[in-house]
Amino acid sequence: MHIAAILRLNPVLTEELEVDEDGRDIDREWIGLELNPFDDQALEQAVLLKEATGAKVTALAAEAEGGERLLKTALARGVDEVLLIEVGEENVQLSSRARAPLFQEALEGLAPDLVLTGVLSTDDIYGELAPQLGALLDWPQVSAVSNVALGDGVATLQQEYSGGISARIEVQLPAVVGLQAATQPPRYVAGSKLRDLLKVEVPTVEPGADFGADLADATELEVPDTSGGAEMLTGDAEAVAARIHEILVERGLV
Amino acid sequence: MRCLIFVEHSDGTVSESALELGAMAKSIGAEAVGLICAADPGAVNALAGQLGSFDAVIGVADDSLATYNPDAAARALTAATEAHKPDLVMTSYSAAGVDLAPNVAIRTGRQMVGYVSGLELDGDTLNAMSTVYSGKLVARTGMDLPGIVAVMPGAVKADGLSGGAPAVEMMDVDLSGLRMRVTETLVPENTGVNLADAEKIFCVGRALGGTEKIELAENVAAALGAELAGSRPVIDAGWMPKVRQVGKSGTKVKPRLYLMAGVSGAPEHLEGMANSELIIAINSDEQAPIFGTAHYGAVCDMFELMPALTERLTAGK
Amino acid sequence: MTTPILWALTLTAMAISGWRFWVRFRPLLAARPAGRTDRIADRLSFMVGDIGLHRRLLRFSYSGILHALIFSSFLVLFTAILESFGSGLFPGFSLTAIGGETWIALLQNIFAVVITIGLGMAIYHRFVIRPERFEGSKTRDATIIYVLATPIVITMILEASARLAIDGQGSAWRPVSTLFMYPMMALGITGHAAEQAEGVFYWAHILAILAFLVYIPGSKHRHMFTAGPNIFFRPLTPKGQLPAPAPTPGEDTPTTVQAYRDFTWKDLLDTMSCTECGRCQSVCPAHAQGKPLSPKKLIMNLRDGYLTDQGLMDSPDHAMPIVGGTIQPETLWSCTTCRACMEVCPVHIEHVPKIVNLRRSLVEEGEVEPLLQSALTNFQSQGNSYGKPAKQRARWTKGLSYKIKDARKEPVDILWFVGDFASFDPRAQKLSFLVAELLGRAGVDVGILYDGERNSGNDVRRAGDEGLFEMLAMHNIEQLEVCEFNRIMTTDPHSLNALKSEYPALGAAFDVVHYSELFLELIKADRLRINPGQAGRVTYHDPCYLGRYNGIFDAPRDVIRALGHELIEMPRNRDNSFCCGAGGGRIFMEDSPGGERTSESRIREAMELGDIDTFVVACPKDVVMYSAAVQALGVEDRIAVRDLAELITETVETEERVAQ
Ligand SMILES: Cc1cc2nc3c(=O)[nH]c(=O)nc-3n(C[C@H](O)[C@H](O)[C@H](O)COP(=O)(O)OP(=O)(O)OC[C@H]3O[C@@H](n4cnc5c(N)ncnc54)[C@H](O)[C@@H]3O)c2cc1C
Ligand code: SF4
Ligand code: SF4
Repeated sequence: MHIAAILRLNPVLTEELEVDEDGRDIDREWIGLELNPFDDQALEQAVLLKEATGAKVTALAAEAEGGERLLKTALARGVDEVLLIEVGEENVQLSSRARAPLFQEALEGLAPDLVLTGVLSTDDIYGELAPQLGALLDWPQVSAVSNVALGDGVATLQQEYSGGISARIEVQLPAVVGLQAATQPPRYVAGSKLRDLLKVEVPTVEPGADFGADLADATELEVPDTSGGAEMLTGDAEAVAARIHEILVERGLV
Repeated sequence: MRCLIFVEHSDGTVSESALELGAMAKSIGAEAVGLICAADPGAVNALAGQLGSFDAVIGVADDSLATYNPDAAARALTAATEAHKPDLVMTSYSAAGVDLAPNVAIRTGRQMVGYVSGLELDGDTLNAMSTVYSGKLVARTGMDLPGIVAVMPGAVKADGLSGGAPAVEMMDVDLSGLRMRVTETLVPENTGVNLADAEKIFCVGRALGGTEKIELAENVAAALGAELAGSRPVIDAGWMPKVRQVGKSGTKVKPRLYLMAGVSGAPEHLEGMANSELIIAINSDEQAPIFGTAHYGAVCDMFELMPALTERLTAGK
Repeated sequence: MTTPILWALTLTAMAISGWRFWVRFRPLLAARPAGRTDRIADRLSFMVGDIGLHRRLLRFSYSGILHALIFSSFLVLFTAILESFGSGLFPGFSLTAIGGETWIALLQNIFAVVITIGLGMAIYHRFVIRPERFEGSKTRDATIIYVLATPIVITMILEASARLAIDGQGSAWRPVSTLFMYPMMALGITGHAAEQAEGVFYWAHILAILAFLVYIPGSKHRHMFTAGPNIFFRPLTPKGQLPAPAPTPGEDTPTTVQAYRDFTWKDLLDTMSCTECGRCQSVCPAHAQGKPLSPKKLIMNLRDGYLTDQGLMDSPDHAMPIVGGTIQPETLWSCTTCRACMEVCPVHIEHVPKIVNLRRSLVEEGEVEPLLQSALTNFQSQGNSYGKPAKQRARWTKGLSYKIKDARKEPVDILWFVGDFASFDPRAQKLSFLVAELLGRAGVDVGILYDGERNSGNDVRRAGDEGLFEMLAMHNIEQLEVCEFNRIMTTDPHSLNALKSEYPALGAAFDVVHYSELFLELIKADRLRINPGQAGRVTYHDPCYLGRYNGIFDAPRDVIRALGHELIEMPRNRDNSFCCGAGGGRIFMEDSPGGERTSESRIREAMELGDIDTFVVACPKDVVMYSAAVQALGVEDRIAVRDLAELITETVETEERVAQ
């Protein structure tokens, strides 16, 4: 059994974001990158399945910067192999749609039984990765999954819908899963494991496939105007209550 | 212009989001055509009857579609898209929408935009507004049609039911050799307070002063359909149980609405809620730091505001 | 006839006692090294001083005095033991020549009274006063000791009484024995009968002593023998330097503690030396706020676990594994590493290194308290607990009246290591801003590392992530080593401790000062001119990592006084300061206390001083902790939490005023 986990770096969202001059990308001057929290879950699920079934786990990434360190962290967490797909240093802003064919190519080479990645990434405007890979590879695909168990040629998953309802789904392998939450939350990896792996070489591969076409050139980013402090509602309690009610109605919140 | 809307439903009821998508299609002057996948034509018709504002419905009936099946639904939506060539395919940004929109986009070679909160038609170009990076930025994407959008639930208000049931046209889709099956639907046990997943939260701070007035806060929460929460001092004082604490050492929340009264806005509190989509803060002190983070603020006495708001909310229903 | 019996008895008792000691201490030989054999002279002189003067014991006056009474009596009464055994084993042996019948006898009589008073006080203390710190101590063991010690003294006195009764002659050198001679004679015990009585008391005395000897190795009163060595082998490294893990004998690489032999031999000796006095427990902030940690019970549990592991005790509660069996993870996570326990322990037991060692084994297994996990993950990915990009570290400098130098690019006099809280917390940022402005006004040539700085690793190390600590520390050291500067300044005691006490063990020694020290210099040198305004009645809180760990007690106080304020001390001050609850990684963890938060009890302590208007702190974390505490207590209108920097800013003359 072979599991591939696809990991992506996301901007750290604890800070306000700014937009660069031409409005095409976030201003990367002040931001840091971190593992997409859902990919974090996918990675944990992959390692849990490895522990449960002895499966082999390969972690993949396609990043302009920070990919090596990201994959070293994955090694520290217990994956067996890693592979960094080179995308070129200038391509700091690649959507999942742009990267999907690169992952497709790598996955066709690895031929895993199961592909795990995060259900979403907050910058996936042109589509999430897992369903695209499902279509590209023509493998069955399920998103928003909270639990994965492996059986004989099948995986049993739990797909989460709104309101806490969920369904148990049995999928034939090979399959692609967009993970929302691993069976148990990611465990901590001691710094000593990370430190020991800092010296490891991360294997890289030059992709043969082209980036997928997306609408990045047709997108403009803006900071919503609410971030500069509150818009004050004036008047007495009655008036304020009335305004709040209006706002809630406008936003479809009541 | 025509929009093909994937209609989600459960327990024989179409979801609110389908009606919202219908309203959104109307708002750009398009025809709304629903795609209903269900177990049998009778179920399709029953569901179509709930789509008063839609212009037409395409039905696909198969046992495998009794509940949502990602593989079957993707095939149905792909087939309907290829057969009817709508200008725009619309799904909700739900679990099903995340499965379907990108998948069908690849299968049909269309472009798609997700996280959509609004649409505008500008000649042949559709401008899609998306909230990205957890709502920290707004993206405006100009998409040439045909295309696909996945729309955030609640982005627009659902239309009321106008007009009669749309005409239903059944369509045959080859659903043989499906690679997955739904074995069980799981309904959550009542888990009690769940701030992390709450859509709306009403949080009160230390200014509440004690349990005597907690009823005022409970009334607001009830009228709003929100979970009641508190800042750390409120929990420390035992006015509310720990599961209701928001913040660094409590629960981190990201509801669509975070209404707060009598909370000063200490960094430890902000850490737990600053990413909420809409923050409205009430505080008697105009210097309160919370006004630097809230989207809307009001300087007033929470004990006057709470009953007034409850009254508004209940009257408005 | 009696001599061989005595020999046989004595040798048997000594053999049993020796064996009982040996089985308890033999495993120390297989434990990890501790490196405690340097600076023998210092060790000796300190030990003798510490024991002789009862330095630490006397901090708790009642029990300190009673211990001094019993301890000194034991020394004196040892002469009586010597006489009894000497004369019995070696017929003819006597101390008479050096005063055995005169002044020594008198001393013995006096100290028999002294020890009786001491024992009386001890019994009263344990059974009537019953201070909270005895909660969890083994009362039975203590009782047995009282039961064994009392007859030793009584038989000693009565033996002499009987001897005197033979002739019916009292002795001025033996007033107490003389006193008991009369009732004895009244009972008809004179002459031959008295001779026989003397023999009986002699043997009773001998047996009591031997019973004591045999009992001791299995009792907490072992400390009579182990306290000395334990104090002798105390650590002489800086207080703020935690020992790094060393390999267990027979292994090549250091691993985490799994078995008792993975502790150092000194750690094990510690457990065998604990007197169960509970002083540590009484000062422990975790214990005080109802957390499941008592440093005393921790040591007792480790001891019982160790003995159970050795087959010397049979306690299912103390079965392996150490963590999860004998010691619960919540206990380990409760510690703030404030060091109050170590500072007060009369036998210099080292609690904190043991706690950290056991935390290390949890961290290695990935078993980390959830909130701590997210903080540590942030440290790993961004180098700070906030998970903020390193690039934002110097954002707080925006808006300063001058551009603060980048110490990586140009030489500076003072390199300011800002620290996480001071860089990222909005309240602490304001204070960093004030400090920067003050430095600017004083014309200090100062620079910072900008995005080159990472968390110092102080709390990370104490949270048990040794590898992460090393990575953070090495990063900072690499950054610092390419900079040119004279001294490092920091406002954060935790960073100060790492830079000053921890980094030297990694081969990087810097001259590190706290901003309170630097500002005191600047004020004294008149580079900051003070214009004492409204004098306040203030109190000052010693941060653990500034005071107890690094001995900086006076500089902040001197600054406060130089500013013209009246400083009122809280009862718990200086090295007896009470932790705010944030240390050791606690600030990152779940913070609901079982009882009152320590920060809140501290604010109460300050308010009890009576009309104090300001609670002065000198640590960015304290600003956060105590501001929240004041909010929680709802006393904003009565007491203000203010940082030293704020006090200085409001009293220092501005440039314009200086110019006039
Ligand atoms: C390690 C640590 C962890 C922490 N974790 C958390 C956490 O998880 N969650 C959390 O909330 N806090 C946490 N705190 C505490 C935090 O620092 C603040 O103390 C706390 O958030 C303040 O709560 P508050 O805003 O309710 O109270 P206050 O700060 O006292 O604010 C009360 C507010 O009510 C306003 N007010 C008063 N009367 C009225 C009225 N009649 N009408 C309207 N407004 C009124 C006042 O102007 C004031 O702004 C933590 C602190 C620390 C040190
Ligand atoms: S270091 Fe402080 S918190 Fe930890 S055990 Fe000792 S006294 Fe208690
Ligand atoms: S560890 Fe030290 S202070 Fe604590 S009970 Fe033991 S001897 Fe006393």
